[in-house]
Formats: sequence, C-alpha cells, structure tokens
Amino acid sequence: MQLPVFLLILRLLFIVLLYLFLMQVVIAITRDLRKTAAQADDSEGGRVAQALGHLIVVDSGPSTIVQPGMRFDLSQQTTIGRGPTNTIQISDNFISSEHTRLWFRNGVWYVQDAGSVNGSFVNNQPAREPIPARAGDIVRVGYIQFKLTQ
Amino acid sequence: MAQIAQRTTGVVRQFRWKELSLLIVPALILLLLMTQLLIIRASNDPAITLDNLSKIKNLPILDGLIPLLGFLAAVLGVHIVLNIFFRKADQVLLPLVALLSGLGILMMTRLGPDILKIHGGPIPNLGSHQLLWVILGLAICLATMFILRNVNWLARYKYTWMLFCFAVLLPSVIKGITTIKSGAPTRDTLGIGALALQPSEFLKIGVVIFFAGYLNDNRDVLAEGSYRLGPLRLPPLRQLGPMLFMLAIGLLSFLIVRELGLAMLVYSLFLCMTYVGTGKKSYAIVSLLAFVMLAFIGYSLLTYVQARFAALAFNPTNWANFTPAQENFYQNNGGGFQIVQGLVNVASGGILGSGFGMGYPVTPPVIDADMAFTAYAEEFGLVGLFAIIGIYLLIVHRGFRIATEANDIFSKLLATGLTSVFALQTIIIAAANLKLFPLTGIPLPYLSNGGNAILANFIIVGILLRISHNTAVEREGAF
Repeated sequence: MQLPVFLLILRLLFIVLLYLFLMQVVIAITRDLRKTAAQADDSEGGRVAQALGHLIVVDSGPSTIVQPGMRFDLSQQTTIGRGPTNTIQISDNFISSEHTRLWFRNGVWYVQDAGSVNGSFVNNQPAREPIPARAGDIVRVGYIQFKLTQ
Repeated sequence: MAQIAQRTTGVVRQFRWKELSLLIVPALILLLLMTQLLIIRASNDPAITLDNLSKIKNLPILDGLIPLLGFLAAVLGVHIVLNIFFRKADQVLLPLVALLSGLGILMMTRLGPDILKIHGGPIPNLGSHQLLWVILGLAICLATMFILRNVNWLARYKYTWMLFCFAVLLPSVIKGITTIKSGAPTRDTLGIGALALQPSEFLKIGVVIFFAGYLNDNRDVLAEGSYRLGPLRLPPLRQLGPMLFMLAIGLLSFLIVRELGLAMLVYSLFLCMTYVGTGKKSYAIVSLLAFVMLAFIGYSLLTYVQARFAALAFNPTNWANFTPAQENFYQNNGGGFQIVQGLVNVASGGILGSGFGMGYPVTPPVIDADMAFTAYAEEFGLVGLFAIIGIYLLIVHRGFRIATEANDIFSKLLATGLTSVFALQTIIIAAANLKLFPLTGIPLPYLSNGGNAILANFIIVGILLRISHNTAVEREGAF
C-alpha cells in the first residue's frame, strides 16, 4: 500500500470519527431531553393534585398586606419575594424582589435566602446556605414569620 | 447485605458513564491526527512508502504521542475528580471542550514550526505551550468549581465586579490615550513578567457576572419602566446608571483602547442580557439603533475602523489587474492581505480538506491566533469545519439548557450570559475570518493560540458545570 493511500484512509477515518462523535453527543442530549420532559410531566401531575405543604402566617409584624392565619400553598420549588415572578408574591417594602427559596426533596424542605436585604431565617437561624426545615418549624422572611405545615 | 449491594449498584449507576463513553471517540480522533502528523513529518523524504515506514530509524511515533497522552490523562483526571466531587454536573460539556482544546493543541503543534519568518516564526514549541495552558485551564476549571460553592455569592459583590472590569481596562485606556494620535489598533496586552496578560478575556466574565447580578435585582423595575421618552419607557435613573457605566466601558474600548472586538462583544452581550432579563423587545431595538449610530460615528472618526471596513469591501477576484492604489492597499499592513490570504486558505481546503499536516495555511499573518479558523478550514475542509461549528453549537445548546434548568434567577442569567459571550465570540471571529465581518483581534475559543483565552473559557465552563451540579443536587439530592 502506498503512503498517500494510507493517509487518505486516515483522513476519511478522521471525518467519520468526527461525525460519529457528533452523533453520539446528539443522541445523549436527546435522551436527556426526553427524560426531563417525562419528569416534568410527572411533577406537573403531582402539583395539580395537591400542594406539598403550606406556610401559615404566625406574626406579620407591622405589615398590613399579610394577616396572621393566612395560608400559602407550597410547590416543589417555591420562591417568595416582592417581584411578580415569584410563586408567592408579597408586595411589602421590607421584602426583597427575590427573598427566599424553598424546595422539597426526599421528604424534607430546604430553605435558602435568595440574596435578600433583610434575610431569611429558620427557627431564628440565618439561612444563607440551604437549611433543612420540617413541619412545625418557623420560617422568617424579613420580619414576617410563617409556620411550615404539611 | 442486600442494602450494601443496592448501594454499590447505586454508586455504579451514579458514575458518570455517559461522560466516559463520550470521551472515547475524541481520544481516538486526537491520537489519529497526531499519528498522521508524525508520519507526514517523518516522510518528507519522497522515497519512503508505507512498507518501509517501519525501517525509518527516527520515526518518533511513540515519543511524539507522549504529550497528547499526557493531555488525555489530564482530561481523564478531571473526569475522575468530577466523579468524586461533582457527580451531578453536566456530562456532555467536558467531552466537547476536551475535543476542541485537543484539536487546538494539535493545530498549534502543526503550525508552530511552519510559521513564516516574516510573521515572527518558526516557533517550534508552540504546541507544548498550548498544551501547558490547556492543562492549567483544566486545573482552573476545577478550582472554579471548588471555590464557587454557592453561585449566588457572586451576585453579592456585583459592584466589585464592575470595578474589577474598570480596573482591568484601565492600563489599556492609559496606553490608548498616550498613543491616541497614531490611530492604530492596540492589542490590549499587559506584560507582567514573562506572561502577556490579555485583560479583555477576563473582562468579559466580569461583565457577565455584573449584568447577571444587576439584572437579577432590578429586573422588575427595568421591565416596568418609570418615565416616558416619546414612545419609549425608560427605567429610573438610579437603575439606569450602572448599566450606562457598563456601556461606557464598551465605548471606551471602542474609541480609546481601539479594540473593536471587545467593544462589539460587550455591546452585544448587553443586548442579549437586557432582552433575556426584561423580555422587552423595545430595549433591544433601541440599543441596536444606538449601536448602528455609534458604529457610524466610529467609522467616520476612527481610521482603524475605516481600514477594517475597507478590507471587508475589498474585492480580490480581479487580482491580475489591480490598480496601483489597490495593490498598495493589498500589500499594506492591516490591509487586505491577511483576509485575502485567509480566504485562499479556505478555498484551497475544498470539501474534504487537504488533510491534517498536508496543507500550507501559514501565509496569512497571525495564523495561530486571529486567523486560526482558516487554518482549520484548509486542513479539515468544509466537512471538518461544519463538524467544528457543530461542536460549538452543542456547547452553546448545553449552556442554554443549564440556564433553563437552573433553579434561581441569578444562576439562569449567569449561565445565559456566559453562554452568550462564548457564542458571540465564536461567531464574531469566525465571520471575520470568512470576510463577512470586520476583522478583530479576538481569539477563537479553545482553537486558537492564547493562554488567556483558554483560561477564561475554562473558567466559563467551570461556572456552567457548577451551576448544573447545584441545580441537580437541589432537585435530586447529592446521591
């Protein structure tokens, strides 16, 4: 076999391998997309059936917008804040536009501050890093205190 | 007992098999290309055929493959570290990036010794330099992932990032002011010891972090707008201020530092992020009009911009009977020569390419950095070029997907911004090399020579991987 022929084979092999790799990646990506689409369908179904938990206002401080006893539904991913994109929107001046995030995993709620000015707390413990919370714990958002219930 | 078995199968299933399987083909591709290059180097003597290839005494195939094997080992090391500490991070990004940076190393190995004397060559150790930078980049990518435990930490210091951007640009501004009369484009390099730092590469990350943090806080206010200016609703001045400051950085780099590429990058990033953050088309359209206006002003004021556009309008097809003025323009530094020779590279590649190591892509100046795209075009051909653009597209797709999956707004904006800046950079320099856009001195991510660009792009990938890991851990737990 002549050298140029060998080199031609190498070149063609390179192109084939390059496209084989692209195909492999595209297959991996589509599989991934299908999986998350299926998961999204599942969680949508669950959300309609029932809320995963509730936040009940215990102490609303000087706020007039929320009253003690008010109940908010929690979904798997919940954000609390003043902005219109939050799951729970509280238009109070002492609440930042993105204040607190709560999420539910393996039967435990996690609370984390979303970069607010007045802070988020679980049982008076600042929640800069995610803090696990259970039913009955007091979640404080700014000065509004909620009780977490199932 | 059954529990232990279950746990071990869980661990086996949790292993990043997808990433490992995707790394196999890139490794094969890189080994194949390197072997091809070594054979070609050894066979410059025309008497040698494949049958007596084994008889060549100094065919250094095994020695020659060692640096590449080192690179593959480094990638494998990153894969193992990701397996131990960041199991849930995105699995497709690393193979894509590894293939691109591997191609970059090979191309630099190939180009280095062939760079012409008039362009400052030959540089025999260009490839090993690139290899060192890439390995350093992989380390920095992991370091970014370790340091950035909580991505929101970045948002807390957004004004610090703004000052960082400004400070990084300051030396170039001073240099630009002192040389303002010459009107030539500067390359914003800082010589610190033996390192030539190019601050614009890190500036772009700072700009993205600032925009993400800033839009995260002020999205609502910006989206509503508070006072009217004709048909346009503008946000209050307090919110507008920092944004205008950021645009001023873009303008500074355009007018004083004379870095067209950086200015274009910052401005288009600003367009993308305000649109993504506020969802208002009017901002994007107004900023686009402002951009056209600024470009026009810049064109009439700055000679370097005029030269770039003149090169764009230059028609080389009647090369046989150039007028003296055209000939002069073509031969002049910064004129048509670089771009036209780049096009010659692309054209001589054809559909299948001349083959790695078998072309002659070294005629244009700065072939290893600004014009690298044309070298790939010549040696890999149209087919290979499509594949490379496909790899870029897949990286961008992954980045935007990480953004849509992310749980909080800041991470979303950050991932979107970083991906946009990556995409914009690729598109600007690729289009420039094909004479569709004025040529600017920004490197092609991962593929062209330049340590800073590689480090910056690895930081981007590190942040994206960290965001994807955090998202998945919040959703499903660490195991």
